[in-house]
Amino acid sequence: MKCLYVLFDADCELCVRCRNWLMQQPAFVPLVFIAFQSDEAQRRFAGIDALNPGEQLLVISDEGAVYRGAHAWVMCLWALENYREHAQRLAHPVLLPLARTVCELLSRNRFFLSNALFRQEPHSAAQKVAADYGLRKASWQSARCSR
Amino acid sequence: MTPIVWTYIIYIALSIPLTVWVAQTLHKNGRVFLIDSFRGNEQLADSVNHLLVVGFYLINIGYVALALREAVAPADLRQVLETVSRKIGVVMLVLGAMHFFNIFVFSKMRRRALLQAVPPPIPPQAHVSVTTQ
Repeated sequence: MKCLYVLFDADCELCVRCRNWLMQQPAFVPLVFIAFQSDEAQRRFAGIDALNPGEQLLVISDEGAVYRGAHAWVMCLWALENYREHAQRLAHPVLLPLARTVCELLSRNRFFLSNALFRQEPHSAAQKVAADYGLRKASWQSARCSR
Repeated sequence: MTPIVWTYIIYIALSIPLTVWVAQTLHKNGRVFLIDSFRGNEQLADSVNHLLVVGFYLINIGYVALALREAVAPADLRQVLETVSRKIGVVMLVLGAMHFFNIFVFSKMRRRALLQAVPPPIPPQAHVSVTTQ
């Protein structure tokens, strides 16, 4: 596996903050972040809409393996140097259903949570990301799997 | 010679060889462990092994030298033996603590090296085709 593409929601403040945190972590497998709303996501992954990327976090390997929700989070943690052990623990059959429930709850309420947690801040991280990348213009030069 | 000088001589004569023995054991048996930690890079493992042993010598001989002085001078042979025994006991405990600390560091490095080769813990849920540029 050369890299993992993480399809996040660029309109959701919480998701963008998670992405920013993930980006800063040292990784065994590089994580490439692509907003699921972008043209780049459509172009790169044919038939991506069938997987409902707006519903839960999606992680796709460079070989095309798809992970959703809690599984996607496990894969993100697995990719990170400092969290691989936690990923192994979380993937245990006892913990995984619990993680799935938590991830579903978080995903469903992500806009509510973003609003409740980060409302006060005038320049939200989500707006910044949207401005930086020009989401629907597909200027995703940096989103390449380089390894 | 006074009893206190005998105490010092016996103390030095026992603690320095003890340090050397522990260092040699670490050096000899730690090598395989280190090579595994550095994923087969023998040169790096040997280098780190040597540096660790040098640090080990410095800390332990430094401690032995610092702890040499005894405030109350022993009067007879019994007190000499008691003082030497106490001092050697402390040195051995320090050596043991250092030894376990070294093993802890080695195993942490090894675990990290092994972690890098771990496959994904869960199977994929679907497949899509990925367009590369």
